[in-house]
Amino acid sequence: MLVMPSQKIRPRWMTRGFSSIAGAAMFVAPLLVLVILWAIVIPLFQINPRVFPSVGAVGTAAIDSIRDGTLINHVGASLLRVGLGTLLGVVTAVPLGIAMGVSPAVSTFLTPLFRFFSVLAGIAWIPIATLWFGYGFGAIIFVIFNAVFFVVAYNTLLGVSTIPYSLRNAAASLGAGRWALLTQVLLPGALPNIVTGIRTGLGFAWRGLIAAEMIATNVGLGYMLFVARDFYRTEVIVLGMIVIGLLWLLIDRLLLVPLERSTIERWGMVRRA
Amino acid sequence: MNIILKGWSAYTRMTARWPGIAAIVPFIPVVLLWTAVSEAGVFPRAFFPGPGDVVRSFFTLTYKGILPDYLQDSLIRLITGAAVGMALGIPLGILIGTSRWAHRACWPILLFFQAIGDIAWLPILLIWFGFGLTTMTFVIVYTVLFPVVLNTVLGVESVPRDLARAARSLGASRARVLWEVTLPGALPNIITGLRNGLGYGWRALIAVEIIVGTSGIGFMMFDARRAGSTVEIILGMIILGLLWYIVDAWILAPIERATGKRWGLVTS
Repeated sequence: MLVMPSQKIRPRWMTRGFSSIAGAAMFVAPLLVLVILWAIVIPLFQINPRVFPSVGAVGTAAIDSIRDGTLINHVGASLLRVGLGTLLGVVTAVPLGIAMGVSPAVSTFLTPLFRFFSVLAGIAWIPIATLWFGYGFGAIIFVIFNAVFFVVAYNTLLGVSTIPYSLRNAAASLGAGRWALLTQVLLPGALPNIVTGIRTGLGFAWRGLIAAEMIATNVGLGYMLFVARDFYRTEVIVLGMIVIGLLWLLIDRLLLVPLERSTIERWGMVRRA
Repeated sequence: MNIILKGWSAYTRMTARWPGIAAIVPFIPVVLLWTAVSEAGVFPRAFFPGPGDVVRSFFTLTYKGILPDYLQDSLIRLITGAAVGMALGIPLGILIGTSRWAHRACWPILLFFQAIGDIAWLPILLIWFGFGLTTMTFVIVYTVLFPVVLNTVLGVESVPRDLARAARSLGASRARVLWEVTLPGALPNIITGLRNGLGYGWRALIAVEIIVGTSGIGFMMFDARRAGSTVEIILGMIILGLLWYIVDAWILAPIERATGKRWGLVTS
């Protein structure tokens, strides 16, 4: 293929910057169209604000709740819960998953157990969590921890058990000790699976969080939505939905997807072997 | 040590012959541990019932007819939701996958609405439709729809253009290319999407039944929570886990594997 001269002259960062801005514009444009459509349809059909709010109402609700600090409060509470629960889950699940995955006998034995519990992950734990810990912070952390823990442990187990034996033997025969084997073969080899596990687990945890907050607490995004329903304040509900969508999009696209891509690219060799 | 090894080798031989055993035996130590902890009275009985209590409540609830009814309600809701979600999702996915303009216009919207998540829709759905079947079905359809659409798009795009072109140049009409090249080529991904979607839909169903609550396994669990009876909550969790395990491992995973093998050539 011919290389266009214009492509050569421009420095790489410039084209990349430009293309990412253009990409972002392409990405935002359909959403903008949707908002414009929304702004047109509501007054056109004179839809009752109790059924669906207008763009302006949601905007003022956003400004009001940012100004009096409630929105920040709810978002902060939700993010803190997800962050803490996920951290706890990952910190405990990864070592356990690796420890179990090292021996193929143990890992095949335990796989059905972890599959069973990762099926239950998240929402199914809400009733018993609220019974054990009462309504509030503890129950929600427990639900999120559960959602993340079993999925991550199961994926770590899978990741470690798919590392080819020849790699482990090669490292051992080159004189690697247990520690070196762990940090330089097992952990890196399982990393793509671990990250995939974290992404899936967080997906469940996020939904679980919203559900748990509707049921079991008095602060957080889910609570904000559910209370607004009692007063038919659809503008607050829609605002909350937009915030939830944007937050998850940001977490997923800016944090998890790049993390997943970079580990798979970096350790791609290990998995293909 | 020798005995353990012999036992282990007998176990592996048995699992090789009947794979079902490998799915059941690991649960035996868990149940034993559970019995031991509940018998030892580490936690109050009301908070931490033993396996015997749960089995007993299973039989009483089945005898009363509550459990079969609730189970049926939950399953029918899930199946209806999944069917509608697929009926909407697959055509939409194929449209978005084949047309570049549709892809550009719809992809960001799809990602955004997927990110909002099923349960966040509940409050406004409750205002629109009230506490009832419409709300539940809507949530499940919504949950199943997105994984199906996104994976169908991926599947359609993974079919090499050359195959479609080859079929066209051999005289196939557009409809035939769609039916005989695009759709079979995307099938493995569609099944994967369905599997993911059902996984999310299952959880959404439980959440909806807890909050909207008129019947179903999720309702049973939360009703038991209100009454403070841990036994029924644990029973509900076990049933949910078992059911999904059966559906996933014995129905969905084999279908996925079969389509992957059958059409493996096309996707690779």
